[in-house]
Amino acid sequence: MSIIEINNVARRFGSVVALDGVSLNVERGERLVIIGPSGSGKSTLLRTINGLEPLDDGEIIIDGVHLDRNHRQIHEIRLEVGMVFQQFNLFPHLTVKRNIVLPQTVVRRRSEAEAGEKAMMLLAKVGLTDKAESYPGELSGGQQQRVAIARALGMDPKVMLFDEATSALDPEMIGEVLGVMKQLASEGMTMLVVTHEIGFAREVADRVAFIDGGKIVEIGPPAQIFDHPGQLRTAEFLAKVL
Amino acid sequence: MELITGQIELLGRIFLYLLPALPATIYVTVLSFLLSLVLGLAVGMAEISPRKWLSLPAKIYVDTFRGIPLLVLIFFFYFGLGTILNLERMAAGIIAIGVCYAAYQAEIFRSGIEAISHGQYEAALSLGMTRGQVMRHVILPQSIRIVLPPTANEFIACLKDSSLVSIIGLREITRAGREFYSQYFVDFQTWFVVGLVYLIMTLTLSRLVVRLEKRFAIVGYGKKP
Repeated sequence: MSIIEINNVARRFGSVVALDGVSLNVERGERLVIIGPSGSGKSTLLRTINGLEPLDDGEIIIDGVHLDRNHRQIHEIRLEVGMVFQQFNLFPHLTVKRNIVLPQTVVRRRSEAEAGEKAMMLLAKVGLTDKAESYPGELSGGQQQRVAIARALGMDPKVMLFDEATSALDPEMIGEVLGVMKQLASEGMTMLVVTHEIGFAREVADRVAFIDGGKIVEIGPPAQIFDHPGQLRTAEFLAKVL
Repeated sequence: MELITGQIELLGRIFLYLLPALPATIYVTVLSFLLSLVLGLAVGMAEISPRKWLSLPAKIYVDTFRGIPLLVLIFFFYFGLGTILNLERMAAGIIAIGVCYAAYQAEIFRSGIEAISHGQYEAALSLGMTRGQVMRHVILPQSIRIVLPPTANEFIACLKDSSLVSIIGLREITRAGREFYSQYFVDFQTWFVVGLVYLIMTLTLSRLVVRLEKRFAIVGYGKKP
C-alpha cells in the first residue's frame, strides 16, 4: 500500500486553478522531487498534503488516514507529516532546543526530559549541538533551516515535505541543508521535495514529477525526466533551468 | 536663609495637602486603564476579524473615539450621559478615559497580533498544534513583547490625562492643587509641586518599563535572518 495516495485533488483561488485534478501515489521510503515553473501549483500540492491548503475536490490518504474537503482528520494527518518551509519559521522567542522540545511536549505529550533528550539527539544529527541554547536570530539561514528540519523530525513523522527549503539561502549555505536532506534520504525517510536544485534531484530522487498549470505533466526516474523528457513543456522548462 | 526654609516648608505643606488626593489619581488611572485594556483587546481582535459585522463596528469605534478630545468625552459622559444614567463623577471620569484609551489600545493590540508572520501559524499548525495551542505557545508570547512598550507609554499618558477629571470636580491631585491655590494664592509653588508629583510617578514608571523591556527582550529578534 502506498503511504501517500492523492486522488484527483483540485484547488482553486477564485478563478485561478492552482491544482487541476492531480493524482499521485508515493511509496514508503520513496524520494519524490517536484519541479516546475513558479505558479505551477507545486507548492500548493505540498501544502494540501498536510492540510495547510484546503481541498476543493478529491482526497488524500496518508498511511490509511483520509483527508477530504471537510478536513475532519486534519490533526491526525499533521502528526504523520513533517514540513520544512522556505522561510524556516522557527519560533524566535524560544531557544533552538526549546523550538524542538515545545511541539513534542505540547502535541506528543512527552515529558520535558524525554523531549529534551530527543532534541539533543536531533541537534547532533544536524550538527548543531553547540547552538542548543542560542536563539534563532543568532543563527545563519542555513543553521536555522537545519534546526527547522530537526524540529519537524522531533515529531517522528512518517513523511517529510520540503517546500523550497534552500531557496531563501545564500549559495554557500545551500550545501549544508542539502547535506542533511541527503542523510535523511539515505536513512529511508519518505520525502516530497519541491526544489530548484536539479543536482540534488538527480542524486537523491527515485522519481521526479514535473508540474505545470496545476497538472502533473510528466513523472519518472530522474534520468528519464532530465535526459529524455517525453513532453515538450518539460524540455522547455529544463532548457531554462539547466 | 529664613526665606529659603520658609519656601521649603511651603512646598512641603503643599505636598502634604496633595497627598490625600493621590489615591484618587491612582484609582482613576488604574481603573480607566484596565477598562481600556479589556475593551481595547476586544475591539482590536474584532478589527482583524474576517467577519465584517465585527470588524466594521470596531473600525468605527476606533475612528470615533480617537477623533474626539478627551476633555469633551469627559463632559459628555458626566454632564450628558451622567445626568441621564445618574453616573457619579468617579464612574463618569473612569468610563470617559477608558473608552478613549481603548481606541488607541485597540490599534496597539491589532498591530501586535498582525506583526506575527503568517509563517509562524503555519509552522505551528504543521507540527500538529491546535489553534488554541498556536495562540498560547507561539503567537501571544511574541505579541506581548511587541505590545508591551507602546502599552506602557499609554499607561503613562493615561496617568497624566487623569488630571483632566479635575474639571468635573473629582478631587484628585490636580483638583487638590487648585483648592490649595484658591485658599493661599501661591500659584507658582502650588503648580510646581503638583507637576513634581506627576513627574516622580511618570519617571518611576518609565524606568520600570525599560527594565521590563530588557527582561523580555529576545536575543537576535527583529534581525533579518
